[in-house]
Amino acid sequence: MFESEIVIGLEVHAELDTNTKLFCSCPREGNDKRNSRVCPICLGHPGSKPVMNKKVLDYGLRFGLAIGCNIAKSLVFSRKSYFYPDMAKNYQITQFEIPLCSNGIIKLSSGKKIKINRAHIEEDPAALTHPAGINDSAYVLVDYNRSGNPLIEIVTEPDMTSPNEARDFMKELIKILNYLEIFDTDSCIIKADANISIRESGYKRVEVKNITGFKEIERALMYEVERQKQAVSEGAEILMETRSWDAAKGITCSLRLKESEEDYGYITDPDLVPIDVSDELIETIKKNMPELHHAKLDKYKKNISEEDAKVISSNHKLAAIYDEVCEEIDPVFAGRWIRRELMRVMNYNKIEFEDLKIKPSHLIDLFKLIIEGSITDSVGQKIMEKLVEEPFDVNEYVNSNSLKTISDNSELKKICKQVINENPQAAEELKAGNTKSLNFMVGQVMRITKGKADAKKLVEIFKSIF
Amino acid sequence: MKSTIEYIERVSNGSVDIKKETEEVLSNLDSLNDKYHYLGAISTGLARELSNNVSIKPKGRLAGVYVSVKDCIAVKGVETRSSSRILSGYKPVFNATVINKIISEGAIIIGKTTQDEFGFGSFSTNTGIGIKQPVNPFDIQRAAGGSSGGSAGMAQVADFPHISLGESTGGSIASPASFCGVVGLTPTYGLVSRYGLLDYANSMDKIGPIGKTVEDCALMLSIIAGHDEKDSTSYNPANSKEKSDDGSKNIDYTKNIDRPISGMKIGIVKESLGEGVDESIKNKVNECASDLKAQGAIIEEISLAVPSEYALPSYYIIAVCEASTNLAKYCGMRYGKHESLKGNFNEYFTKVRSKHFGQEAKRRIILGTFARMAGFRDAYYLKALKVRTVIINEYKKAFKNVDALLTPTMPVLPPRFDEIKNLSVLQNYMMDVLTVGPNLAGLPHINIPYGMIDGLPVGVMLSGDHFCEEKLLNVAFNIEKNAP
Amino acid sequence: MNVDHDLIIKVAGLSRIKLTDEEVKEFTPQLKEVLEFFTVLDKINTDDVEPSFHPIEIKNALRDDTPGKCLNQEEALENTEHKNDGFFRGPGAV
Repeated sequence: MFESEIVIGLEVHAELDTNTKLFCSCPREGNDKRNSRVCPICLGHPGSKPVMNKKVLDYGLRFGLAIGCNIAKSLVFSRKSYFYPDMAKNYQITQFEIPLCSNGIIKLSSGKKIKINRAHIEEDPAALTHPAGINDSAYVLVDYNRSGNPLIEIVTEPDMTSPNEARDFMKELIKILNYLEIFDTDSCIIKADANISIRESGYKRVEVKNITGFKEIERALMYEVERQKQAVSEGAEILMETRSWDAAKGITCSLRLKESEEDYGYITDPDLVPIDVSDELIETIKKNMPELHHAKLDKYKKNISEEDAKVISSNHKLAAIYDEVCEEIDPVFAGRWIRRELMRVMNYNKIEFEDLKIKPSHLIDLFKLIIEGSITDSVGQKIMEKLVEEPFDVNEYVNSNSLKTISDNSELKKICKQVINENPQAAEELKAGNTKSLNFMVGQVMRITKGKADAKKLVEIFKSIF
Repeated sequence: MKSTIEYIERVSNGSVDIKKETEEVLSNLDSLNDKYHYLGAISTGLARELSNNVSIKPKGRLAGVYVSVKDCIAVKGVETRSSSRILSGYKPVFNATVINKIISEGAIIIGKTTQDEFGFGSFSTNTGIGIKQPVNPFDIQRAAGGSSGGSAGMAQVADFPHISLGESTGGSIASPASFCGVVGLTPTYGLVSRYGLLDYANSMDKIGPIGKTVEDCALMLSIIAGHDEKDSTSYNPANSKEKSDDGSKNIDYTKNIDRPISGMKIGIVKESLGEGVDESIKNKVNECASDLKAQGAIIEEISLAVPSEYALPSYYIIAVCEASTNLAKYCGMRYGKHESLKGNFNEYFTKVRSKHFGQEAKRRIILGTFARMAGFRDAYYLKALKVRTVIINEYKKAFKNVDALLTPTMPVLPPRFDEIKNLSVLQNYMMDVLTVGPNLAGLPHINIPYGMIDGLPVGVMLSGDHFCEEKLLNVAFNIEKNAP
Repeated sequence: MNVDHDLIIKVAGLSRIKLTDEEVKEFTPQLKEVLEFFTVLDKINTDDVEPSFHPIEIKNALRDDTPGKCLNQEEALENTEHKNDGFFRGPGAV
């Protein structure tokens, strides 16, 4: 059945960026005092009843439509029964028989298509702390602030063939979720369970749980592949089991033997009623859907190089900045400066987009000054460097530091003559027509003027002197 | 006794010293309870607080009326345990919606009535561990009916203005009402909010009034009925395709209750007068039919073979499936009975649940877990849901031809406790045979006391189409006025 | 399907209930009888019938994504003794 050496399928749980929880009006984030963003519903108090958050349906539909899924005609919830200390009701309200979305595709940057079996909506359990580690705690501590948060569960087919590919998938998925504005990396959790098997063991499936974020997924799966390969080479049997990823120790540990599916005894939740997913609703969602990165890429390619377009469209915060800047600045100029200068400075200072404090307005002010010639490119680059560290009012800064371009010919001529006098050797070579010397002389003037001299004019002035 | 509505008028006029009344009521409750065990908790503090409010502002459609509340309905700050030991000491931090509604209309809540644990029973003999069973008000050696036994009993013995809030899943309002000789109204499913009702079977639970008269029940229904956005299954006329006879909000069910009923078509369900029902009870139904005829109603014999045979198993399967998931939350965490935190969570949960659930609760949890297990789910759970559809369709067909259906409420007179002990589990379940049909189908139905047999009360049951409470109460009122 | 002691014990275990030996002995024939009684539903044809999850048609109960009132920490922890420093305490995992 399988051809590749490694077979990986993922089950991803992403928290949706709503104001309130899935079935109650408790705020989804905010007050982080333990057990204070709770109510009888998310605490599972006897007699409390769930009421569905409309926004979650909208977000679920956005995702399904964005990845080309079939959409169910009706949103129906089931009770999945199991007992665990993080469960408010000892059943989870989730979707069983008919998920909201099914049969979609997510394309990796390599072009490979990963099939999405289903995406459905469910509630998050509470947050558990094991004071002495999961295996050694006599009791657990539970905080129900998280209980009832809205999750979208995305299940792939076992289409990935390496830990690397799994990581790429997660990156791509997070990108889509960000672009659709249904997920906020700052405030929403994303976790994955992976099913992984290797050819050497006859594709005995092991589940690895508790992997948070796309960076961990490659680590966890690389470890697991090695562990399984090693076990096989030692003649040990690979048990079909559930293991937990311990990020701190960098290992997976056995949780329980996966003999058979736990009997969840699903029933349709009789406290909830079906929600129609009408064609009108789908049309409305489609119309109001934020642009995905593919669409942005196509749009940008019209003005800037494909490579630059790819870079800018690949990060939705950056794309958002670019889009807003392009409302007032020529896209070609903006593209060059954002792709080359802004990102150069960010990379140099190892600043991530999540931590970037620059606003589009800062860039618009800066670019306007450069375009109209009020400051030189060189000054502009220096200002960019400072902006990335800590944003400030660009116009004020330029004025109070006298950074405007020096374009007065007589003044420039004075400085050029000064440089010629200080560098007789180079001046001779320049007279002889050496372009390197010209650049050198221009560079000296720039050094003296702290980059404020109009470079084009300098070239002319030097040429005219000789 | 003067009617409740007259009493409310006097309260509203300020002619009743409500605080004095309340003290008198409270002072007698303990001795009443010692004899009958109708109240699992007496809410003295709350009663005085509400009484005080009413004395200051004697307004409201229930002003000064004393209300006892079935123990499965959450009352803030008052022990609420569905008569189960696993919830001993649990005091909700919120009121059920119906409680907020009656409080805002001036009701004075006196306590929580005893019941079969979580609603699991037809006699109220399955009260939780350590909780005394309510007894029949006419013979304390006999059962009060279930599961709202305490409510029906209170409604009978209260010698003060009183209406009880009961709850029905498979017949738990009609059955004890019949055994205690009072009126018990089960509204259409979804008409009254379930928010704050400790669930037995969510697709069949309904809160309804139990009182001395049809008018009292109609009055209470007027106050507790209506859409509640906190209950997703609450009937919302704006959303539903359901064609309601009555329309929507704020209906006064007491208005027009005494209209003459000539021309109304009443169907007697043939199968309800067959084997398994006491002859004397059948005679009462026929007596009632004759009276209705004399009032100008048209009596027809109707056959409802499918509901008669299949409603009982279909009801029990769906009920235990839903109940077994509802009861999973009772595990010694967050509320209810605790044990010391020793052992892993499976051991802990098992210890709490095994120790504090009663026998019938355990049986139904096991049945319900089984019926939705992989491999059995289709044959039991899904099958029962499909049979429910067939049954509902049969009733809908019948109501195209008749305005209401008439049957006995219970197949037997209130049995003695020692007789009940000899019944098998299945025989216990079979006691619901006449009430499960309307309950499964979510139809409104009402028990009207119809005289006595051998010193014990017997009732007749009237069922109507969905949301046809006005019509139902109208016929019921006219039955009641001539009842023996 | 054989309704015997083992099945009853297993299903009880799934719902975190441990029956005493007497209970197992008592419950098995009782539950067996009830489960057999349930099979009477096989007699009725439901081939093209949709299941009714509720007895009346109710749909589309939704609410807006607007924050509402919460309990405070004290209220949340009111009904339990098993608490510690604002957390609920629960039994350990192993």
